[in-house]
Amino acid sequence: MNGWILIPIFFPIVAGIFLLLSSFLQHLREVKRHKTSRTAVAAESEELRNIHILTAAVLIISAAAVLWAVWTGEKEATLIYLMKGISLYFKVDAAGRLFVTIASLIWVAICAYSFVYMKHEGEERRFFGFYLVVYGVLTALGLSGNLVTFYLFYELLTLASMPLVLHNGTRESIMASLKYLFYSMCGAYMGLFGIYFLFRYCGTLTFTAGGSLDMALAQDNKGIILIAVFSMIVGFGAKAGMFPLHAWLPTAHPAAPSPASAALSGVIVKAGVLAMLRMVYYVVGPDFIRGTWVQTAWMILSLLTVFMGSMLAYREPVFKKRLAYSTVSQISYILFGLSLLTPQALTGALLHTVFHAIVKTGLFLTAGILITQCNKTRVEDYVGIGKRMPWTLGCYTLLSLALIGIPPASGFISKWYLAQGALDAEVGIFRWLGPAVLLISALLTAGYLLPVVMKGFFPGKEFDADTDKLSLEPSMWMLAPLAVCAVLAVILGIFPSPLIQYAEHIASAVL
Amino acid sequence: MNAIIMIIVVLFPMVSGVLVPILPFRSRRQMMIYIEGMTLLTSILVISMLVNQPTNSLILFRFTGDLSVSFRLDGLGAVFAGMVAVLWPLAVLYSFEYMEQENKEKYFFAFYIIAYGVTLGVALAEDILTMYFFFEMLSLVTLPLIMYTLTGEAVQASRTYFYYMVGGAAFAFIGMIFILSYGTTSVFVPGGVLDVAKVGDKTNLLLVIYVLCFCGFSVKTAMWPMSSWLPKAGVAPTPVTALLHAVAVVKTGAFTVMRITYYSFGTELIRGTWAQSLLMALIIITIVYGCSRALKETHFKRRLAWSTVSNLSYILFGVVLMSPLGFVGALSHMVFHAVMKICSFFCAGAVIKKTGRTYIYELDGLGRKMPKVFLAFTLSSLALMGVPGLCGFISKWNLAKAAVSSGNPLSYVGVAALLVSALLTAIYMLTISVRAFFPGRDFDYETIRDVEDPGWRMIVPLVVFAAGMFFFGLHPQPILKVFENIGAVMP
Repeated sequence: MNGWILIPIFFPIVAGIFLLLSSFLQHLREVKRHKTSRTAVAAESEELRNIHILTAAVLIISAAAVLWAVWTGEKEATLIYLMKGISLYFKVDAAGRLFVTIASLIWVAICAYSFVYMKHEGEERRFFGFYLVVYGVLTALGLSGNLVTFYLFYELLTLASMPLVLHNGTRESIMASLKYLFYSMCGAYMGLFGIYFLFRYCGTLTFTAGGSLDMALAQDNKGIILIAVFSMIVGFGAKAGMFPLHAWLPTAHPAAPSPASAALSGVIVKAGVLAMLRMVYYVVGPDFIRGTWVQTAWMILSLLTVFMGSMLAYREPVFKKRLAYSTVSQISYILFGLSLLTPQALTGALLHTVFHAIVKTGLFLTAGILITQCNKTRVEDYVGIGKRMPWTLGCYTLLSLALIGIPPASGFISKWYLAQGALDAEVGIFRWLGPAVLLISALLTAGYLLPVVMKGFFPGKEFDADTDKLSLEPSMWMLAPLAVCAVLAVILGIFPSPLIQYAEHIASAVL
Repeated sequence: MNAIIMIIVVLFPMVSGVLVPILPFRSRRQMMIYIEGMTLLTSILVISMLVNQPTNSLILFRFTGDLSVSFRLDGLGAVFAGMVAVLWPLAVLYSFEYMEQENKEKYFFAFYIIAYGVTLGVALAEDILTMYFFFEMLSLVTLPLIMYTLTGEAVQASRTYFYYMVGGAAFAFIGMIFILSYGTTSVFVPGGVLDVAKVGDKTNLLLVIYVLCFCGFSVKTAMWPMSSWLPKAGVAPTPVTALLHAVAVVKTGAFTVMRITYYSFGTELIRGTWAQSLLMALIIITIVYGCSRALKETHFKRRLAWSTVSNLSYILFGVVLMSPLGFVGALSHMVFHAVMKICSFFCAGAVIKKTGRTYIYELDGLGRKMPKVFLAFTLSSLALMGVPGLCGFISKWNLAKAAVSSGNPLSYVGVAALLVSALLTAIYMLTISVRAFFPGRDFDYETIRDVEDPGWRMIVPLVVFAAGMFFFGLHPQPILKVFENIGAVMP
């Protein structure tokens, strides 16, 4: 009777495909008609409202259903057996529950925002169609119970989210989406290389806390398994923007419409994090990697990415691109936490996953508001913006503080755990190198986020405040999701204990 | 059960093919009904033969002494015969629309159906001589099909094709002679027929012969460095490129290689020797080389042809793993690739038929006007890339499983090559889909105003293949069971 957890996965996917088909038919009709009359315009706004209602209804129903399903106990369901020992299998567990919950909440928030935002991008049917499909795929990703199921939805995630990137149809965004597609595919295939080997040496690919590697078999083939695991780390790192496969991220995020970039940065890149978490802690087992060259290489790559990302963000004048580089850097905080293989660092990594999801979604929503309301994309153009949109910039300030990690905002907690974990781990020079890099990166984070606040609120004497006093605040539909993110970013920092307990519970199960 | 049915299925399509230009048809419609009827009838006969499983062998005629042309149905042959029996009627159906307004179509269909019988002959051959006989014949009857348009390019391509095939057959012939003189029998036996006493200390000589023979037969599968004939042969009408140059002819090559490896020379002799390493290296090079050339190619059908080159070497990779698992992997890719590649070729053909466009940069925006065709094309691309849920994933999984468990370091490189090739496949296939569906904001749809999806004769095969890709991708167990049973008798 557990089979019905499949419903919230497939309901949004089917609804999304339905929207896509209708968009297709509409396009065919339009090409035939050649011109739009006034009545058609009126009918269109009517249609648009229907699309919004449909999307919102589907999303809310499936989010409610999936949340109820994951928070009411452990469930499992097998959809189909593919081959001997390989099935499409779904299971609710603590880590998946966390991922699904974040994804659902952020998806609903961004959805409300994009009802208004997408009016200036057009082709809403297509956007919301893919948006719903991606939601279903993300849910499935969180609930996947073995590596093959996970891999299936990992690839579908790439394929379904790619059209969100190319949405506005310029040459630049099409190229960006192709870059995203090919980097992700490259990563996925490197992951698949590892999966082939793990299937041989684990016997099963079902997620088991602590891993299921057959130690007797593995000892004789340690070299090749380590290579396979390393290939998986680099491969799944592509989605998480880890060096050396990070280059798609700063291209794709700015090219996408802002709600899509928020979704990409907030949730979709976390699929890479989830992949590594599942692979290392639930299939291979942390003990196999501890102390090997793979762990060292992983730590080096993630620290390098942390530093490089912040540095590039610091130098970047285009606001959305700066946020994209920031994502590169911040996700590697999480990966560094995973690579340490200690309970405390893992707790920190999980906390940072949650906090970064909320904060980065909020930041990209701000970027979207700034683009629609003032048509400016570069940071130096945002002089005096705080006078005209105080609420927006106020939220942005809170979010920046959270990302930098200034107490009591949330980023502080996760970074504290990460640094503590690094100091306690048996990892040689990385014990102090790790926290040092995190600290430098935090300074750079302040350096690239706060100038917008400074220039926005304190434009300086030369700025003529009287030129245009008109308020530029966006509508409530856009502001409310942003405010929710900002408030959550602070509240979770002040009252973090339930979340910390939850993360520690996950960490203690696998380590 | 009467083994005579095996002769019927081989000869029946040949005879009905020869009759096509002779019979006085009153209209094109009549001819179409005759051709489709004969093809379907043959397929039904083949299916009934597969169901009844005649176990006896049947000698058609003797040359001298032991040398004869004879047929027997076994597991491997049954899979191959079943595969072509399903695909041929669909391809014929597709050709009716594709070949409209061609004045020589009579001859085209004549050779097209004769080739069906010859392919079945290869599948049912009991011994190496019969197989060689039909192998040669297949080269000859498909030659006019490549030459069909009689343009300079087509004549050139068919000439190249002919030289390659003759050269390959010569090497294959050497192998056949050695099997006849060093084997206990010329009949195919799982595990091989080499006579240990006769071989003695001549193992190395036999390995050299095996490599030559392998290369000779795999000229048809376009293994590097003998691959350039296949993209050139893309000048043939699409039904030929799709069915013969993605399935029947090239897979005859893979099939014959399986026969000589697993049923004549035997894997015991070759496993772990330099011959295995050499062939595997060539195959790995082909896998990557084919994909790279596909990436560089801007002609739609030639790009697909290069992709075929690479994918055929997946099958060969499974073969040279020299293990029952590898055999299963090779078989599954042989069948699944047939479905995927014929589908993408048919899509290319539909585009050529409806728009006359043959280069990839001309395909902008066509996805919006021919949605069915390009959806099928995208689906076949995803399957070729190996997205789980579609059949390509299953066959790659089997190949990789076999390679990983063989423990041979070179086969690990092979797994990596499979994945590099998958990535390149993603790049060269999906750029086409993206271009067709998302031509960009300022694309002018007026330029392709009158383009539309083709008629039902072209759409039906596409739907069947799409369903097949999903079916084999989600429920592969029954067919894998069949493959495993065939592989299980290998030592």
